[in-house]
Amino acid sequence: MEQVLNQNVIDAVDLKHKKHIRILIITGFVFLVYLIGSILHFDLPNLAKKWNKDRASMFMLDIYAHKDHIKMNWKDPQKIDLRFEGGHRHVYKDDPTWLIRNKNNQSTIVNFDNGGQFVFFPNRVEMRNFPNINEPFIFKLNKNGKPYVDGYVGKESMLPSWMRATENKVEVRPSLYERLQVYGSKVEVHRYELGWKYFWFDFDSPLVGKGFFDAISLMFNEDRVDPKISNFNLVVNEFLENEIWHHNTVLFAMVETLLMAILGTLIASMVGLPLAFLAAYNVTPLSSIRFFLRRLFDMLRGIDMLIWSLIFLRAFGPGLFTGIFAIAFTDTGTLGKLMSEAIENTDKKDKEGIQSTGANKVLQHRFGIIPQILPIFISQSLYYLESNTRAAVIIGAMGAGGIGLHFLGALMTGNDFENVAYMAILVLVAVMCIDTMSAKLRRLLIGIEDKK
Amino acid sequence: MLKINNISKYFDQVKAVNNVSINVENSSMIGIIGRSGAGKSTLLRTINRLTDATSGEILFQNQNILDFKKKDKLEWQKNCAMIFQQFNLVPRLDVLTNVMLGKLNEMSTVRASLKLFTSEERHAALNLLNKFGMMQTALQRAETLSGGQQQRVAICRAMMQDPKLILADEPIASLDPLNARLVMESLRKIHDEQNITVICNLHTLDTAKQYCDRIIGMQNGEIVFDDLPSKLTNQKAREIYGAEADEAFEGTMTSVSLESADIKKTA
Amino acid sequence: MYSDNILGFETIEKNLKAMAFKRLIYSFISILAILFLLSSGLTIAEENNAGSFQRGLSKFFDYPVDLFKEAFESGWRWYAYVFKYLPDLISTINMAFFSTLFGAIFALLLSLFASKNLIKNQYIVTLSRRTMDILRSFPELVIAMIFLYLMGKSELPAVIAIVIHTAGALGKLFSEAIENADNKPIEGLQSCGASWWQRVRFAVIPQVVPLFISYTLLRLEINVRASTILGFVGAGGIGEALSAVIQFRYGDEIIAIMFLLVITIISLDYFSRFLRGRLIGDNK
Repeated sequence: MEQVLNQNVIDAVDLKHKKHIRILIITGFVFLVYLIGSILHFDLPNLAKKWNKDRASMFMLDIYAHKDHIKMNWKDPQKIDLRFEGGHRHVYKDDPTWLIRNKNNQSTIVNFDNGGQFVFFPNRVEMRNFPNINEPFIFKLNKNGKPYVDGYVGKESMLPSWMRATENKVEVRPSLYERLQVYGSKVEVHRYELGWKYFWFDFDSPLVGKGFFDAISLMFNEDRVDPKISNFNLVVNEFLENEIWHHNTVLFAMVETLLMAILGTLIASMVGLPLAFLAAYNVTPLSSIRFFLRRLFDMLRGIDMLIWSLIFLRAFGPGLFTGIFAIAFTDTGTLGKLMSEAIENTDKKDKEGIQSTGANKVLQHRFGIIPQILPIFISQSLYYLESNTRAAVIIGAMGAGGIGLHFLGALMTGNDFENVAYMAILVLVAVMCIDTMSAKLRRLLIGIEDKK
Repeated sequence: MLKINNISKYFDQVKAVNNVSINVENSSMIGIIGRSGAGKSTLLRTINRLTDATSGEILFQNQNILDFKKKDKLEWQKNCAMIFQQFNLVPRLDVLTNVMLGKLNEMSTVRASLKLFTSEERHAALNLLNKFGMMQTALQRAETLSGGQQQRVAICRAMMQDPKLILADEPIASLDPLNARLVMESLRKIHDEQNITVICNLHTLDTAKQYCDRIIGMQNGEIVFDDLPSKLTNQKAREIYGAEADEAFEGTMTSVSLESADIKKTA
Repeated sequence: MYSDNILGFETIEKNLKAMAFKRLIYSFISILAILFLLSSGLTIAEENNAGSFQRGLSKFFDYPVDLFKEAFESGWRWYAYVFKYLPDLISTINMAFFSTLFGAIFALLLSLFASKNLIKNQYIVTLSRRTMDILRSFPELVIAMIFLYLMGKSELPAVIAIVIHTAGALGKLFSEAIENADNKPIEGLQSCGASWWQRVRFAVIPQVVPLFISYTLLRLEINVRASTILGFVGAGGIGEALSAVIQFRYGDEIIAIMFLLVITIISLDYFSRFLRGRLIGDNK
């Protein structure tokens, strides 16, 4: 059993080791060079500089909070203007509990939850009682009508970091949730609170302030809020016609996007499967047809959803058809190619068994091939449905409509971030629902054990 | 040297190993026999710490190895080599690398991850392969070898660990007669030359009698026999094996029934 | 005994018939559901589309024909533009390559923690799986647009978006592959005293690497398409070039870019198919 140590083997082993080290060094070097090159190319060192901090914090804040605007004109200090998110039509008729008007000395107090206060006087604004801020700052206008911080004229650099005084504006932001801007003409306070206000019912709705469960119980309550229509309809209408959250548009857009994905995939699989049969050599003897179909599949796939949607956008205009057909065209190619390969890989024995019974061609395929490829077909179609749900959002943003376009629109306004977040969450939920449903359906239809 | 005190292992309600005590004073080659499901594998896996015992203690050089945690546990596993019925090599790596994996415990993570083995390690592995007649296959992938060859590679890997104890879990149950003999002879040689204790689960009686100095019989997770091979009467053996007795007795250890028993086990 | 048998056959036949009937009903219901979905969906589409289906259909070839007409009128020299846009194309491919590479690295890390045979702690496994679900559920565009808004126009937002999506999508496939890997080598190394990472490195990764590469190649192809589309909404590369020339209606340049894209996608398709075929063949 034991042999003399063979020098050839030792040499071969040492050589292999040397080769391994050489490959290691080369791959490491290439990877490092590529990494450094890419970091420079994508300008990662300047990431922090590019990152728009103000926008980012505003964005984040807007996602989970809402704000009220409190405005005072220096010319008319008694007329305090109160608006939700500064909206034109969202003016508060009654004072909220955190706003106190003091008739005696003509002041108005804006209270914050942390105990801090901004107090408007006809000639000044005072900042009081903020936690960890001991100095009571006072903001005034000088003779030229420019705002300044009392006691800090000429010493602007001494101001705390959360305060900025320029010639035309004094900006005060003790924390993310309080903001004061003093201009020559007006004073504006933004008061942030957590949550999505008016998500269920908007500012002017008769149901304003009702939560989800209140609304549900109201739906089945006989006492009509509005004698003209039933409570059920009222709740649904008021919810959908919410002017701040635009539920009807957003939800309909979501449905549109889902329809694009579902119909596109459905058409692709219904057209792709027969074509796949014609493109498989064990079904179609004519090589010319097969060749033509193969190239057709390549073309449909290769032109890609992007270009298809551009072409359909011109033909059908923005709308569902563009999305449906862009998806259907691309995936007819993909599914056709996949399925024709699956058909060619089917076990011949089944078909021969059927053939031996004297069945005709069509029946041979029906019982010899279809049972074998049906599970693949169903699971592939469902996989494409999942990825097409995401694709439909993207095509939508390129102009085909649906939630994608609304998302882009909301983002571009630059201040409706809560709507952006709302739509992003909606898309996330929809995609996850489709994923779960398709996984369930796959298991139900083909009984594939889902390995968990 | 090795002292197993009242080891038990329960899987839910099933008592796989029940209150087992074994004392090994001097280095010896021990065969554990018993029918399938008697708890032989579980016992070895408990000693190697692949599975945790429910209760009891295992003393090796007066240390309870069941108390070892993290680094100590890995160190123990390094000292206690294990050979499996299905070889448990990495199929896509070459034979030499497979053998050198026995040294993983002593290597730094970075060096191991980049497969930077030193020339000493390479030559040690080659020497071992040479000793077991596997040198020519050094650069082949493990998956291309026959079962017997793979088992010998597995023994090389075990030897690479510099073990103080070798556990072999049915090492020949998947092998043909010739390879089975080669593997058992190798194990015996290791024991004779290096004075390492070998504990070997065996399914056939002949093999145990032929190669081991001491035989332990297990039944339903308990030890029912522990003595010299010569003390094992046919009647006692029949009792230990129960319904599988005919298989275990039939022919020599090289019989075809080994494979049929194996199939039964996996079925 | 005899009569029992008869009864048995009858019951079996009855059951078979019932099963066949059930299947028929199921097929019938699913076909009805599909037809209903199709008709109602297309009706909604017809009602809400800017142009009607028929008018659209008749105009299907208008755009391609227009493009070729314009290209012809400007002297049929569109192929000269192919080289002009080659750098943009390379930049798009690089964007996809870089993000696939890093997406795959993150996916590998995530998938290790999402595999039951490697992590015994059920909570970590579930947490990693849910993380991957969320990562891959966001369409790239949503993340890319948000980052584009927050950090200005560049390729980076697209890269981040694709990395995130790729990490989730590949991570799921990777962890499935890991869980299907043979457990014996892992146990073999564990018995030698190999640490967790050493077991992963030497027992798991060699087993799954062909599958991983094949999945990653497939993802690369998908990501080239994705980075083109993200370019179209402002992330640079050939997509942005395409969106620019479409706005200015340069027929010949549009044709040149579309030609480049189609060629790239088709050749990438064949290339990755070839590589995957070799890898899987190698695996056997």
